[in-house]
Amino acid sequence: MMVATAEKVSAVAYGAARRRWASKKVRVRLGNLLSLRWAAIALILVGWFVYYPIVDNFIVSTTDEDIYTGEVTNVGLANYDRLLHDPIVLVALFNNCLYALISVVFQVFGAFLLAAIIEDLRSERWRRFWRAVYFVPSAISITVTGLLFYFIYQPQIGLLDAALARLGLGQLVQPWLGNEHTAIYAIIAMSQWQGFGYTTLLFAIAIQKIPRDLYDAATMDGAGALRRLWNITFPLTREMTGLMVIVTVAGAFQVFNEVMVMTAGGPNNSSQVLGTWLY
Amino acid sequence: MKCSLQVVAVSVAAVSSMGLSISSSISAEAVAADPDAKVEYSGTLSVLTKFGSQQLSPYFVDVAKQYEKLHPGVKVELIQESDDSVKGKTKTLVASDSLPDIYFSWTGSWGANFVRGNRAVDLTKIIGPGTDWGKTLSPAAVKAFEYNGKLYGIPLYQDAKFMGYNKQVFGKLGLKTPANFEELLVSCDAIRISGMTPISLGNKEAWPVIHYIGQLLAYNVPQATLERDFDPATAQYTDPGYVDALKQLSELLERCTDGAAVNGTSYSSAVQAFSNTQSAMYYQEILEFDSSATPDTALKPADFGFFKLPVPDGAKGDLKAIEGAPEGYMISSASTNIPLAIDFMKFVTSPENGQVLSAPPYGQPSATIGGASASTMSKAVVEGIKHINSASYLMPWLDTANPPRVAAAWLSSLQALTGGSMSPEQVIEEVRRTASAAK
Repeated sequence: MMVATAEKVSAVAYGAARRRWASKKVRVRLGNLLSLRWAAIALILVGWFVYYPIVDNFIVSTTDEDIYTGEVTNVGLANYDRLLHDPIVLVALFNNCLYALISVVFQVFGAFLLAAIIEDLRSERWRRFWRAVYFVPSAISITVTGLLFYFIYQPQIGLLDAALARLGLGQLVQPWLGNEHTAIYAIIAMSQWQGFGYTTLLFAIAIQKIPRDLYDAATMDGAGALRRLWNITFPLTREMTGLMVIVTVAGAFQVFNEVMVMTAGGPNNSSQVLGTWLY
Repeated sequence: MKCSLQVVAVSVAAVSSMGLSISSSISAEAVAADPDAKVEYSGTLSVLTKFGSQQLSPYFVDVAKQYEKLHPGVKVELIQESDDSVKGKTKTLVASDSLPDIYFSWTGSWGANFVRGNRAVDLTKIIGPGTDWGKTLSPAAVKAFEYNGKLYGIPLYQDAKFMGYNKQVFGKLGLKTPANFEELLVSCDAIRISGMTPISLGNKEAWPVIHYIGQLLAYNVPQATLERDFDPATAQYTDPGYVDALKQLSELLERCTDGAAVNGTSYSSAVQAFSNTQSAMYYQEILEFDSSATPDTALKPADFGFFKLPVPDGAKGDLKAIEGAPEGYMISSASTNIPLAIDFMKFVTSPENGQVLSAPPYGQPSATIGGASASTMSKAVVEGIKHINSASYLMPWLDTANPPRVAAAWLSSLQALTGGSMSPEQVIEEVRRTASAAK
């Protein structure tokens, strides 16, 4: 009798424990599901504003629309075929790649070197001064900079040709934006002038975060400036360098304003980039 | 995985079909103006103009103010764009189906696009020959906006291209206005020897050289051939006059301008050089006469002269043709107040407003009969109008007469010709190839 009662009590306790366990499991699952609602909001937003436009763009790219009549014809991949056989697209792609390559050299590695030199100065006042000097061009609108350089490159009244002539380099005088072989380089040069200071400032901030003790120890060990740059500064700013490479390359493929203002892609489409040719 | 792929595929197809059906549904229906429609003087009228420059923008601002004063219930909203920006702005407005009530249009294929898409109101019954409004406008200017036998545009002013020159420079060097193309080149040589740029030209925008070749093509290629080639369906570009005209252009660029350097110069810099007396000539529209020589510029109106681009010897086209066309406005078929939009344009094209438009500082020869008064206009503009009226053919601007792809081929190839990287034969080959692909 006693055994039977004990068994009964044990079964009841087991049942209650099981129910508690099941209820806890449901609560945990529910909690997990509820916590997903925050992720769902983010997913919906990203899906709507990032992935939907990508899919929609692809759909639009398989059609040919007459903006005047509103007629839409499904052309499959014909637009891509046209794109691949369009020689100007290759010119534009080459110009974008050139833009990226030169920008990485000047705006990443050049800016890194300049930042290292500035941060190596003893006087804080001079460090601030040079940071400001190099940063000022970045504060000017790209459209205004484009117009400014249009006048600098202008063949008749431009500062560049006048300076070259004064320096006895008359053989180099030419219509920088009017020559098919120099137009894109003239635009890229302007862009380096404009963007150089910004990346220099970012590298300067990264360099400031490196503990001075490392430089002091290296100096005591007899390391020269170049050795310190290569063995301390460069490795400890590699995250910033990586980020700058990504940002600069992405920026080079989004170029539009400077080309539109200075040459509108000319002469003879020689300075087209993907953005302007698409426009 | 298969299931999710199917879901994605079905979703894409559904979204795609939705997109297509939405796009298809925006095509407009043909709308014709009703001559008996009552004008309700209330609401807002939006107007897209090409008078965005500092010199021209006050014209529409003043006219709008006067109209609002006459009709207090009406508000006129102006969108004023420049010659370059109006093209992009118009295309954006069309693509987003938000054309203003009244919008600027060139003649030729530019205007034809609006008609093709039923974006413009058919104005035949109110602006056609014999109508009250039609009688007040130059018939040729109204006819320039005729498409498929119907009239769609309201011409505001007439335009044509002339070579402006500095009389003082010509006088000092003992030069006369050239009687033929060869004499023009000889004059250029003499001016260059004197240390001055003979013709200032800025071709950064690519269309300024298009204007030179347009006039030379009118001289060298028969009118019927030109018009056949403007139509993508019949275009051939095989007439030898094309290469002749391009060779003449090459010679002019070499002997009269700064050569390849002009591709790096904007057209506004070129006008400035002429106004500052840094060049002896500038090929310009009649619309620019009153701005290139003003009492405030180094080149004074009294020293300003002009002549038609001289005819090359042996040219086989229309020697009395002149490059130019009226420019005007269209009424959007989507406008909610078409009678009011028409009434506003009647006000804009009244003889009184025409006289204001024709006189300095605007200097835009009005297309309204009685809208140009010799007493208020500058002498040069009055003379220019006489040339336009006596022309046997108005050669349309090449970049608006041709379909966009062919126009783009002309623009880039001519920049290459100017820069010396293409020969005349290569230019016409490129245009021919593009025209063939555009069929």
